[in-house]
Amino acid sequence: MKIKSYLRKSISRQFIAILCFFILLFLIGAIILVYAQEQVNNNYVETRNKLVHKSTMVSELNNHLEKAMFDARGYIAFNNQAMKKSSIDEKTTTAELISQFKEVATTGDDYFLVTELVNFHQYYFNGILQEAIHYFEEGNMEAVTKIATDGGTDRINTIKKDINDYLQSTNDLLNNKLDKLKHDMKILQFLFLTYIFILLFVIYLIERNMVKRIGNPLANFAKAANEIAKGNHAEILIERKREDELGVLSVAFAYMYTSIEEKKQDLTSQNEELIAQQNELQVQKVELERALETVKQNEETLQRRNSLIKGISNSLYKKEVLDSIIVNLSAILRADRGIILVMEDHSYASYSISEESANQFRADLYQGMLERLKKDEVPFILTRELVLAEKGYVHDLYIPVFNAEKSIIAVIMLSSFSNAFSNFDQEEFISLAKQIGISLDKIQLFEQTERDRELNRDILNTIQEGIQLISETGEIVLINEKFTSLVGMQKGPGCALDEWLKVLENQFLDPESLIQFMKASLKAKQGKSFIAFSKEGKVINIYMEELYRGTKKFGLFVYRDITKEYEVDKMKSEFVSTVSHELRTPLASILGFTELMINRELKIEKQKKYLHTIYGEAKRLTSLIDDFLDVQRMEAGKQGYEKKFMELMPIVESVKDKLKVNATKAHTIEIVNMAKEDIILGDKGKVEQAITNLLSNAIKYSPAGGRIEIKLYKEDHHLKLAFKDEGLGIPETAMDKLFSKFYRVDNSDRRSIGGTGLGLAIVQKIMHAHEGEVQVESEFGKGSIFTLIFPATNHDK
Amino acid sequence: MLIVDTLEAEYLVDEAQDGGQALKLIEKNQYDLLILDYMMPIMTGLEIIEKVRSNVEKQNIKIMMLSAKSQSHEREDILTAGADYFMAKPFSPLALLNKVGDILHED
Repeated sequence: MKIKSYLRKSISRQFIAILCFFILLFLIGAIILVYAQEQVNNNYVETRNKLVHKSTMVSELNNHLEKAMFDARGYIAFNNQAMKKSSIDEKTTTAELISQFKEVATTGDDYFLVTELVNFHQYYFNGILQEAIHYFEEGNMEAVTKIATDGGTDRINTIKKDINDYLQSTNDLLNNKLDKLKHDMKILQFLFLTYIFILLFVIYLIERNMVKRIGNPLANFAKAANEIAKGNHAEILIERKREDELGVLSVAFAYMYTSIEEKKQDLTSQNEELIAQQNELQVQKVELERALETVKQNEETLQRRNSLIKGISNSLYKKEVLDSIIVNLSAILRADRGIILVMEDHSYASYSISEESANQFRADLYQGMLERLKKDEVPFILTRELVLAEKGYVHDLYIPVFNAEKSIIAVIMLSSFSNAFSNFDQEEFISLAKQIGISLDKIQLFEQTERDRELNRDILNTIQEGIQLISETGEIVLINEKFTSLVGMQKGPGCALDEWLKVLENQFLDPESLIQFMKASLKAKQGKSFIAFSKEGKVINIYMEELYRGTKKFGLFVYRDITKEYEVDKMKSEFVSTVSHELRTPLASILGFTELMINRELKIEKQKKYLHTIYGEAKRLTSLIDDFLDVQRMEAGKQGYEKKFMELMPIVESVKDKLKVNATKAHTIEIVNMAKEDIILGDKGKVEQAITNLLSNAIKYSPAGGRIEIKLYKEDHHLKLAFKDEGLGIPETAMDKLFSKFYRVDNSDRRSIGGTGLGLAIVQKIMHAHEGEVQVESEFGKGSIFTLIFPATNHDK
Repeated sequence: MLIVDTLEAEYLVDEAQDGGQALKLIEKNQYDLLILDYMMPIMTGLEIIEKVRSNVEKQNIKIMMLSAKSQSHEREDILTAGADYFMAKPFSPLALLNKVGDILHED
């Protein structure tokens, strides 16, 4: 049972067991075969040996017998005693041989031969041989022959014959035995073969059964697997109780099947889900395809729009943009010609349209088309017969261009002979028009901005104050021209704080306090004012105001050129000083001497001297006040002039006479008249005043004396009166301010020379009032020439 | 002339026509008081003060400045420049005499 269950569990074990069993049976068969063959062979060899032995013995016996008979006969024939003896000796030998043979005799033939032999032995050796010898010794030959003929010879022949027969039969028997051996061997071999065949057959049966037991389930498995593979339901037909591999396999297969079934169900449900999803995807795909189609259409539209936008020159100059719009639009819409007309200023750009046609178009537009466009607000195509051509039609596309406020700012007209416009829809025209509208709007905006910008720039540049806008970080944002000229800084917007401060540092005196002010202003909220003095001599009032743009803070520095005001201011205060000094100095003398005269007892000469001084000082005071009032009057425009034609020379002469008293002995005053006539149109009093001022200056500012020449001459139709002195002269730096009022050349040489700084100012004002001029030439230290220039008069005519 | 006339009765007075002349006199003689006009030929009163004050020997000399520039800032400028006294023009000769008397009798 154990073995059985052991075998049941494995097919390979079963196979091995069967193989072992077969080998065992085969070995048993083979052993039996070998053993049987050995037996038969042994049997044969034994029998054969016996027979050969018997045969040998019989042959020896025969030989001995024959020897005995031969010797006997020889004795008789030759009377050879030796032969007689040997013949008689043979008796024992043969007897012994016979007894030996008798011992081995088995068969009837043997025993018959033994009897015969024994009889013959008796007969021969005990009978005839002795008789023959006896007779022979007696010489009885006849008896001897008689013995031989009586039967002796026959008997010998018989025995010989018997022996030969026996030998013959033994030989036959031997042959028989060999045949039998061969036969037996054949039978054995046959039996063995038969056994092998039976064995093979049995094995075949067993194997067949085995194969059936394995093959069928395997076929079942295969079928089941096939079925499963095909997705059908499958059952494995196999013995439940099998414990071998197939049994295990079947169980595993069953499990597998179940698990596959389960998974299959899972998969099926998943699959269903997937299918559902797939369906959904399919739907989405269709939707997407539809969307793609739309996108493609949009793309085409966009591409057209893009090419328009790309095509439209990026310029902001109207003419350029209009040109590029009409050229590009014609290309995109495949028009043969086109025109764009801007409503605002009637500027237009055209593509293969003559100026005449363009004007015609404009006229036509106002005769209805524009109204239609305004009303419909959409592009339209007009198809009309060609005016002069022999055949065909022309298709005119009118597109209104709207601005952001929805009013028509431009009209586009495109013409096509092939009606290429039918390939586009209205929407597209509208969208293209929108693009164009946007770019035109942009240009208008730009132009407006540009105009505003220019205006602002002009305003900024017109303002006579330097403006510098600074960002929070101190960078220059904006400057105006005045700033550049005032500060002498070429650097404009983008210039960093440190950079422009450095420029300022180099431009101004006392740069430390200026920089300090700048930095403080940028930090502080309240702008302060600072007065800076440039190295060029300008006086600039700088103040800062804050500016906010959203969260950005800017600092606005304003640079006011107050050089003039400052100088006027300075002059004024200097004037006040001068006037007060000039007024007080004579007053001091007048008051002082008067006081002395009141309080002290003075000699009469001294009193006279004092009174002279007082008188002189009072006169000086009066003329000072007169000058001052004159200037005031002239400046206020209140000075009236009574102009008459008059001769100049008498006035000069009288002034010379009047001022003679002022001159010292060192002075010589000469009048040179080189003009043929000296008629001028003027106010006598004022001309006289001018001449007086110049001559008194000439005297006053040549303290060392010298020649003073008054020369009248005509040059370039002007009458000129020159006052030349050999006095102090005027330094170069003072020349341009010389005629400013209150100005006095600041030089230690002339501090002692009294003056209000008004004389020359009065001269100039008088000359201007006469449409004339006063000019000065001077060499510092050598003298000056002041020239009065009177305009030509038409007195002669 | 007015100043000399006013003071010469009581004091020893030297008169100079301009700054250069004045400096020469100051160098030569020992003066108690210097009366300067602000506006003078060649050198202004301020320049003279500067020159005098820079001379160690003459540092103690008293200086009075006469000026028609009587505005307060002008007066300040004169005093800070080194003048000890200031008198505005026009002045009373008697007031000047009194003032000089006060100054010279201070010590």
